[in-house]
Amino acid sequence: MAHFRHPLVAYLVLLLAVTACAPAGESPSADAASRAPTDPPATPSPTHEAAYPLELTDAAGRSVTIEAEPERIVSLAPSNTEIVCALDACDRLVGVTDFDDYPPEVADVTDVVIRTSVDVELVVDAEPDLVLAAGNELTPSTVIEQLDELGLTVVVLYPESLDEVYADIEFVAAALDATDAAEALVSEMETRVEAVETAVADADRPLTLYEVFYSEGTTYTAGESSFLASLLEIAGAEPVIGDAQGVIDAEALVEADPELILLGGASYDQSLADPEAALETVAERPGWGELAAVQSGDVVPYLDDIVTTRPGPRIVDGLEALARAIHPDLFE
Amino acid sequence: MSATLVARPIALGPSLGRSTLVLGVGLALLLVAAAAAVALGTSGVGPDQALAIIVHRVTGIGPITWPASAETIVLELRLPRVVAAMVVGAGLACAGTVFQAVLRNPLADPYIIGTAAGASLGAVAALILPLATVGWLGIGAVQAFAFAGGLGAVLVVYAVARQRGGTPVVTLLLAGYAVSSLLAAGVAFLLFASGDRLAAVVSWLLGSLAGASWPRLAIAGPLIVVSFTLILLRWRRLNALLLGEAAAAHLGIDVEREKRILTGLAALLTSAGVAISGTIGFVGLVVPHLLRLAFGPDHRLLLPASMVYGALLLLVADLGARLAGGIPVGIVTALIGAPFFLWLLRRAVRPNA
Repeated sequence: MAHFRHPLVAYLVLLLAVTACAPAGESPSADAASRAPTDPPATPSPTHEAAYPLELTDAAGRSVTIEAEPERIVSLAPSNTEIVCALDACDRLVGVTDFDDYPPEVADVTDVVIRTSVDVELVVDAEPDLVLAAGNELTPSTVIEQLDELGLTVVVLYPESLDEVYADIEFVAAALDATDAAEALVSEMETRVEAVETAVADADRPLTLYEVFYSEGTTYTAGESSFLASLLEIAGAEPVIGDAQGVIDAEALVEADPELILLGGASYDQSLADPEAALETVAERPGWGELAAVQSGDVVPYLDDIVTTRPGPRIVDGLEALARAIHPDLFE
Repeated sequence: MSATLVARPIALGPSLGRSTLVLGVGLALLLVAAAAAVALGTSGVGPDQALAIIVHRVTGIGPITWPASAETIVLELRLPRVVAAMVVGAGLACAGTVFQAVLRNPLADPYIIGTAAGASLGAVAALILPLATVGWLGIGAVQAFAFAGGLGAVLVVYAVARQRGGTPVVTLLLAGYAVSSLLAAGVAFLLFASGDRLAAVVSWLLGSLAGASWPRLAIAGPLIVVSFTLILLRWRRLNALLLGEAAAAHLGIDVEREKRILTGLAALLTSAGVAISGTIGFVGLVVPHLLRLAFGPDHRLLLPASMVYGALLLLVADLGARLAGGIPVGIVTALIGAPFFLWLLRRAVRPNA
């Protein structure tokens, strides 16, 4: 009946808002190799001019045939947009999301995703020959189905580790016939990741809580075996881990007792951006006053959440920002 | 409680001329709204192009001056959505009318005896369990499960409420409430366990016509039309039921049998509608009340009018929701309908009205 739905729905919308920005859960095909093009990554096919039609298996395990080199691309996630642009194909984008902010020229491209909801009519109107969707329900599976039924070529990307970001860049590059650009980009990223690994190799690894979101005693942080957790580890921290959805309740948090707290929400919430005010705010939360990090004042407003949680080429910027926040002394 | 329902003797129903006027105006408005909904959208495909595309598809006349994408937008996105809005809106309003009469309860809506909770549990289960890819005649598992869940819940409620000598309305309402609560707990648990499919689940629970397609309509549509017809044919019996079950029995009506048939048909309508669009609130509660306040309780007019105006309300609301950037349609139905309803209510409670 009518009245049971509404409080439930309100609760859901809140949960949804949270999980949308929470780190990865598990995904049907986490194996990076399974969605790389049939050629091994970084080894361009000798006959790659004649590679179309190209048959691929995407992150959702769907096999997709790309008939010809895509000239009109719709991207349904900011990370996909960044991959396309990093491969010098920004001018082929004919549709993006209203959350896209990088590189700046994508501001001129039509928004086909508005407030996280995909406007299918606008996608069709853009006449794309390739649609890059996001996995894990960031692009709802019902929408992917609908686009499929309308005869569009849809590829789902959902990287959950650095290796999978590399694989996705190579994957998109294969579709766009831009494997050389991909090779250069990936090798630059790998070099920078190695530099971070080297810098933190001998440092102490503080037990670190990365706060994605906090509500009513529940903290959303890096989920079990999530992308964010792996980045924190590479950046030289011992991450406090939530469940598969990144949820950790107050008791478990007090028990874990982090030495360092990074407030990812400060990237969006002005009231958390000032270090002193932020420390005061979190100290008032039930149970938080006695946490080691709060006692020692190691509560850091973290302003690079976007690049840290957007699995595109700039994820390395995010990794470097994490390393600087965790080990300020090592990065002058 | 049922004062407004039996305010006038049934013999003094609206004249044939007045009925024709009410339905004629409604159908004309519906036609205008349908034309607007096909002609307008978020993309650049405008009214002239939409008209040309439809004319070309129907008659084959005229040169093709539009890209293939425009044809997809008009024929595969807007048109099925318009038809779905009308069918679901009409179905919900009609089911609401029937439930309000059979249960003689002004708060009755199409979901009152378990349909919404049952359909939600079915749909959410299908969304979360790895079934969504199982297709059957072009109908997804979600639609099939929603339909089965909605109908199944009503069957359970009816079976539970049945006692020797009949099915008292109060027992039916309370059993509906209890079964709904139980099923809602199941929905809440599945949500809790849903993990990364939460977004899909929420968008289904909010109700939306965005997923409307011809294959979905091909099965649910005829089911709804047949139920309409069977319900329309029973208008006299619905009028008699308004007098109370004892009075209806004195008029020679097999009350228990009628209740069973009407409840079954209304549940069928609701479940088929929910399978197309998820649970959209408000239409089924308010449209019958609006029409009763405006035109009186005679079901000869009330039933067809609820279909026409239910279709109109949902169509206009969905167009508004679509143009406003895809906000949930249930919000718009309430925004449009509630103030108008309150105004009518204020007018109707004047003494001697």
